[in-house]
Amino acid sequence: MGGVVAFLFYGSILFCLIGSSIKITGFIKTPLHLKWEYYKGSSVYESIDWWTRAPTGFREKVVTALVDIIFLREYYRRNPQYWFFLYLFHLGIYLLILWHIWLFAASVLPDPEGTRGYGLAWGHGATILACIGTLGILILRITDRELRLYYAPLHYIKWVLMMITLAGGFYAVHVYFGGSIPAVLKYVRAQVTFSDTAQKFHPPPATAAHVLLGSVWLVYLPFSHILRLFFRYYHGLRFDEVPNVPGGIIEKRVKELLGKPVTWAGPHIRSGKSWRETATGLPDEEGKGKAG
Amino acid sequence: MGKKKPGIRDFGRNGKSELVHISQKDLMPLPDIPGEDTESDPIRSLTDRQKATYEHSLDGVSAVAVPCPKDEEEEKRLIKSFLEGLKKLLSREDNWMFLQQLQQTLDCCIKCQVCSDACAIYVASGRQEIYRPMFRSEVVRRIVNKYLKKGGRLFAKLRGNDIELNWTTIARLAELAYRCTMCRRCAAWCPMGSDSGLITHELRKLFSQEMGIAPKELHEAGSMRHLRVGASTGISPKAFGDIIAFMEEEIEEKTGKKIKIPVDKKGAEILLIHNSGEYLSWIENPAAFAVIFEEAGLNWTLSSELYGYEATNYGVWYDDVQFGRVALRQIEVAKKLEAKKIVIGECGHATKGLVILADRMLTGDFNFPRESALPLLENIVCTNRIRLDPRKNDFPVTLHDPCNIVRLMGIIEPQRKILHMICPRFREMEPHGVDNYCCGGGSGFAIMSHMNFSDWKLTIAGRIKVKQILDAFKDVRDPSVKKYVCAPCSNCKAQLRDLLAFYNLQETHGISYGGLAELIANAMVDLKKPFIEW
Repeated sequence: MGGVVAFLFYGSILFCLIGSSIKITGFIKTPLHLKWEYYKGSSVYESIDWWTRAPTGFREKVVTALVDIIFLREYYRRNPQYWFFLYLFHLGIYLLILWHIWLFAASVLPDPEGTRGYGLAWGHGATILACIGTLGILILRITDRELRLYYAPLHYIKWVLMMITLAGGFYAVHVYFGGSIPAVLKYVRAQVTFSDTAQKFHPPPATAAHVLLGSVWLVYLPFSHILRLFFRYYHGLRFDEVPNVPGGIIEKRVKELLGKPVTWAGPHIRSGKSWRETATGLPDEEGKGKAG
Repeated sequence: MGKKKPGIRDFGRNGKSELVHISQKDLMPLPDIPGEDTESDPIRSLTDRQKATYEHSLDGVSAVAVPCPKDEEEEKRLIKSFLEGLKKLLSREDNWMFLQQLQQTLDCCIKCQVCSDACAIYVASGRQEIYRPMFRSEVVRRIVNKYLKKGGRLFAKLRGNDIELNWTTIARLAELAYRCTMCRRCAAWCPMGSDSGLITHELRKLFSQEMGIAPKELHEAGSMRHLRVGASTGISPKAFGDIIAFMEEEIEEKTGKKIKIPVDKKGAEILLIHNSGEYLSWIENPAAFAVIFEEAGLNWTLSSELYGYEATNYGVWYDDVQFGRVALRQIEVAKKLEAKKIVIGECGHATKGLVILADRMLTGDFNFPRESALPLLENIVCTNRIRLDPRKNDFPVTLHDPCNIVRLMGIIEPQRKILHMICPRFREMEPHGVDNYCCGGGSGFAIMSHMNFSDWKLTIAGRIKVKQILDAFKDVRDPSVKKYVCAPCSNCKAQLRDLLAFYNLQETHGISYGGLAELIANAMVDLKKPFIEW
């Protein structure tokens, strides 16, 4: 059993890393798309000869993305009640992720005693925030007709699983480790340094259960929408006004894409030819009135 | 409330009856419109012959005129064809143009329903379930998940993929793709970046590019005619020449100015291309441009070449192949004329199409400079390149924001700066700018009026716009006070023309409509008589 837990724990981390890398590589390799953005305010197209103006700067993109992601700004504007619990959940999860990173870092520091006070408050506080958020979301998703609509049963199971994972973490730290951060750090240190194999193969039930649940989430992550959201949304939809300039990298990619074959079967499309040939030709009489 | 709302599981069931029947009392109230409290149905029923011939089981409306299959064999063939098209939408070869955004939309919706409140059609219809923006997306998402993904049928209900793909589902989906104006207000509101407007676009593409199903007005009488004759309106190069001669006479009569409109001038700074519908329906708009450009001393020209006098590109709304074909031909004309850049007149979809959408289809010398006319008009007005007197526009004016120009291109301020300078009684609609509502004629609806579709677009799609217009002028209800809705877009003007007539707003409220250039010309100090004729 203990071996299985260790295998699942390290295996799930590996799976998450490899799965996420494959997904991200897939996103990167998705062909360049046509421009289809929308705007929240004025754009370069308000200028005469707009192609000579600089598109939105990197700093502005990053600031907008961070504000949206950290504060969930759009939810606040559109549905404040739902935003409240969603925000508590996200805040809790962000703090918990940071707490786990801190645990790994602090576990190898020489003086774990010095972290006793704030370490515990941080972990418990984040867990409580995430728990309130999860519960609130679950209740709203059950009681509010609009939020219940088309929400798959599987998603309710996910929220319940999230509650169990959070409660399990709380139990492990507060009950099993007696609320002692140095004890938690000692345990984490054993995991990080791959020492104390006896403990690995005979893990205490509380930590084993928490690790297993955590592993489920790690395995799920590459399949979730989260990666895609972070990766494409801000670039492809909100700030895509970088023009295709002659001789530039976009033009190079467009040229390659125009060489791809068209297999659409509509009667006005001559299937089998490249996009370039299909667009320069006319639908009915081939060759007549060719452009370019 | 009280009436059972059809859900997605009902979408493929009972194909012989309408999924939804819309009655007047369902609709969002318009208290200022006489006769709106009647019990009669807002949408005329199709004739028995039409019902027997065309699919109408979504809501009793036929926008696309999808023929009913003759037998089971044909149904099977159509289902197979639909699935083939869906696969192509998700293919890197066949849909590189929109694959990334499509995958984003299919993967990222969390069913928060924020998009529902953003949708003018959903709200105006009295929140009919089938018009909810994510309803359409969810049908497509479930079909993809269940029928195209590995293991999609496994625990389908648990994973929310319970839908049956049959001919009823497909026929209703074909119609549903034409119950959204692609204004993408829902997409702009979505915190996750899901774009239900894109789903509409992709569905229309699937039906057109794979199954050969598209509304006649957009395809046969639209892009096909455009490619054949030179303009979607059917204007030939010779007819265009006659129109220009007529326009010169009109300008002289109206303004006292004898202008020779430059046509096919080689090497001009600007090749100006209008929506050819302007020449047929609102010739005062291209005439106003001519007067303004000549007065400002611009080096410009129109083109009488095939494709050179037509800015529209209906492919934007339903077909990438047709879109590409038209765009390339428009660029070719500018190249031949050796113009420095293309400026597109007051037409939203044409501007977005050629400036933005075509950007990543054009390479080499086809990557020709292109821009909207609005910044140029702003420059002319705000730098005093022509002499204007705002007192000539001393009547209430409001501005309709065309979605393609404002939300989808970010051109928000130029038109406002102009109106603030030349219209002392300018007032905004609420909401406006990037939060604007579509006129209800977007995505081709303005030119679609087959069977009973015009009833639908005027009573539902344009309903919120009517309310916005009435609210904007609520301080001046007197019909003897002439009021002007400025709509710098040809399709929006077509929809406004039909809305004002349908709701009788000109007679009862004194409301007229027109473009932006007409207001500028009307304010010019040295015109003999007012440019705008009420």
